[in-house]
Amino acid sequence: MSYAYLFKYIIIGDTGVGKSCLLLQFTDKRFQPVHDLTIGVEFGARMITIDGKQVKLQIWDTAGQEAFRSITRSYYRGAAGALLVYDITRRDTFNHLTTWLEDARQHSNSNMVIMLIGNKSDLESRRDVKREEGEAFAREHGLIFMETSAKTAANVEEAFINTAKEIYEKIQEGVFDINNEANGIKLGPQHSPAAAGGMAAGGLGGSQGGGCC
Amino acid sequence: MFNRFKSALLSSVGAAESAAAAAQAAVTDGAEAAGGPAARPAKFAYGRPAFLQLETEDELQVAGDRVIRPIIVPRDSSRLPWTAGYAEAVNAGKSKRNEDAAAVYTGVLHQPPPGGPAGDGDGDGLQRTGRSVPYYYFGLFDGHAGHGASVAAAHQLHHIIHERLVDVLDHLLPPDPSAAEAAPAPGVRAASLWIPAEEVAPEKLVTGALEAAFNDMDALIAEDRLKYDMRGGCTAVVALLLLGRLYVANAGDSRATYCRHGRAVIASHDFTPETERHRVRQLACQQPALTGGEFTHLDFARRVGRRDLGKRVLYRDAHMTGWAYKTVTERDLRFPIVCGDGKRSRVCATIGVTRGFGDHDLKAQNTNVNIKPFLSSQPQVLVVDLEEEAVTESDVLVMATDGLWDVISNERAAELVEQSLAAFPADDVTKRRYRCTSAAQDLVMSARGKLKERLWRLSDGTMATIDDISVFVVPMLPYREEHLLWKLGQEASAVRCAPAEPPSGVRQVSEPAQLDRYQSLVEQCGRPSPPAGTSPSGNPSGAAAAAAAAAAAAAEDPVETGVEPEFADAETGEPAAANGPVPAANGPSGTPPAAEQVGTVPVTWFGGEDATPVSRPAPR
Ligand SMILES: Nc1nc2c(ncn2[C@@H]2O[C@H](COP(=O)(O)OP(=O)(O)OP(=O)(O)O)[C@@H](O)[C@H]2O)c(=O)[nH]1
Ligand SMILES: [Mg+2]
Repeated sequence: MSYAYLFKYIIIGDTGVGKSCLLLQFTDKRFQPVHDLTIGVEFGARMITIDGKQVKLQIWDTAGQEAFRSITRSYYRGAAGALLVYDITRRDTFNHLTTWLEDARQHSNSNMVIMLIGNKSDLESRRDVKREEGEAFAREHGLIFMETSAKTAANVEEAFINTAKEIYEKIQEGVFDINNEANGIKLGPQHSPAAAGGMAAGGLGGSQGGGCC
Repeated sequence: MFNRFKSALLSSVGAAESAAAAAQAAVTDGAEAAGGPAARPAKFAYGRPAFLQLETEDELQVAGDRVIRPIIVPRDSSRLPWTAGYAEAVNAGKSKRNEDAAAVYTGVLHQPPPGGPAGDGDGDGLQRTGRSVPYYYFGLFDGHAGHGASVAAAHQLHHIIHERLVDVLDHLLPPDPSAAEAAPAPGVRAASLWIPAEEVAPEKLVTGALEAAFNDMDALIAEDRLKYDMRGGCTAVVALLLLGRLYVANAGDSRATYCRHGRAVIASHDFTPETERHRVRQLACQQPALTGGEFTHLDFARRVGRRDLGKRVLYRDAHMTGWAYKTVTERDLRFPIVCGDGKRSRVCATIGVTRGFGDHDLKAQNTNVNIKPFLSSQPQVLVVDLEEEAVTESDVLVMATDGLWDVISNERAAELVEQSLAAFPADDVTKRRYRCTSAAQDLVMSARGKLKERLWRLSDGTMATIDDISVFVVPMLPYREEHLLWKLGQEASAVRCAPAEPPSGVRQVSEPAQLDRYQSLVEQCGRPSPPAGTSPSGNPSGAAAAAAAAAAAAAEDPVETGVEPEFADAETGEPAAANGPVPAANGPSGTPPAAEQVGTVPVTWFGGEDATPVSRPAPR
């Protein structure tokens, strides 16, 4: 299926916080109750519509296990968006956020949009991290924030789509150079820079006249 | 293979010619060579190994991302027998696609019951099912100049091997005790195989099946390439687990290394222009017509040029290992049939691997000389008797294409595997299924390295591999257990097949007495889990228990650790060790065996090639 843009996402965070479940819920609308450890990386893709345009999300779901950290870091490259996930029922996963954030900032491009996600909001009775704490962390580090449940699907769509909207806005503002694939953004097959000119009218500072790729 | 050649050519032949060669290579590499084989249909669609379950075009594309080079592992580790491990990474731009191919196959060889086909054979109302022998197959194929040959081999070689095994099945199995009551159909058994005067050991029959299948595979590609778009060539390394033995058949520069407790115990031999210099030069010497007058079988101590004409230089003929002087003539200016060292060695200045399948149309660059006659599909076959071995949870077979071995030595691979396995202990029920997958991923990572300033580097800063990398990590213990259990079942059912009792195909351990025996087998193997589907109900049968006891007694024999491995040359019957380096079956010299198990794996070689000492340094 054709798309106007393709955005690459990564999902990162401690093991067991629900990264793979979020992806599965978003792509397949299913929930997986058993923890199937992700060994390296998994992929998912889904088409969404933003501002009337088809946007394809290509999502890289990484392993949270410490043992795989150096391998998964190499997948951060060229991501336009990141979902940084913790588990609201496990404080340690919240405490590790700083490390994850440093990692992500170091190994990916500086414009990457990061969405902080407090997952497992359905487990209110076992909550260990207050919503306000998540909000404060996000504010402090310039992230967007949401609480989700991969089980009930609450806010899952929104988390992925709001991230895409933010990326789309950055494109409109000319922050992202869409001709540089290292930014995690690709124009669709029928939307070569020349063809896309009208679509992204005026918004693509410095990216016009890139010629045919 | 081919890109390496392109760069070798730049330095050895000259810019003008290399531009032409590059153009030619571009045509052969390109998907749409006008009017050529591309006009024909593909017999097999390109894809990644089925067990990776990469189904959509999207997934294929992401897996083949040559900028990130993600390490792909099966998303469902139970897709491979005993959750064996597999991981792969695409090249860094050397070819359009990952040209490595892999296949896994779980097969069963059926022996029809004596006296007739399966089923109610003679109307006595009893089911005769015959005997079934399970086996496991793992294959890796490193393609070059396209994926035609590697994909074809991954789809077909196991079927060919299966046919070849079926052919000799009667002689692989001990005589069926129930055969005594039912007279064999006249002529059937006798005609099934011509039996040589001397007894042929079962492993020689399996070895023969593998060798014959490799030859069949190559012939099939030769035939299919006329009907289909099937270009390029590939190496092949196959592991077959059958009747308690591990067989490794290798043709090319992929490699299988048997690891135990962090040590490389034994490895298959690599076939490259460098290691096969002797065979190739001999052939060029004996059949000079094959070289088209373009190549010389002589080796010179240095590259000779026009200005050397009439001068005396050191040379070596095909029948020499040392050097002598000769006066350079015009004929000596021809390109050597084998040139270069190590990874840069080439046959006819073109190809860097000397065994495998395909390459039937390959010509020496810029000439009309056919290279195929210098290549061979014959594998070296290595046999490890797992019944005789004190196999542990740390025993794994690492199979990998040269993308791994170019930068990782056997010893290093064994160390890395040991570290990875330790992170996912075998006795941790929730984690054990990830252990081999994780080990395979770590191996690929250690060879792929990281992108630093646009170059792929290892952690020590040296260059990483830019080739495709594929790795299997196959645990040996689960197979051994499975085999011992199967054998136990065979012997139990054999006793039941005695005339007094109805024949049955019972292969399940169901009596308490047998359960005890099974436990002792398992303890010996070091894993304290009960067999699936075992129930302690049922009446102890004296006969079955006796058979179980016999099997267990056999298994409980102390395992010898100091036995000299037997090295046999299939062609001459002579010990092969005499004319080649002795395999370092005891690991690197100077390091005494660390544990009682780190001893000798009884290994047999077939294929008439030098065995590979495992402690050699990594080729760079
Ligand atoms: N109740 C509840 N359970 C969840 C939710 N999300 C995930 N889980 C459970 O949490 C466990 C881990 O989920 P995964 O998605 O596999 O975790 P992961 O982050 O991918 O872990 P790694 O792959 O090891 O990095 C599973 O047992 C899920 O069923 C949620 O929103 N609510
Ligand atoms: Mg996961």
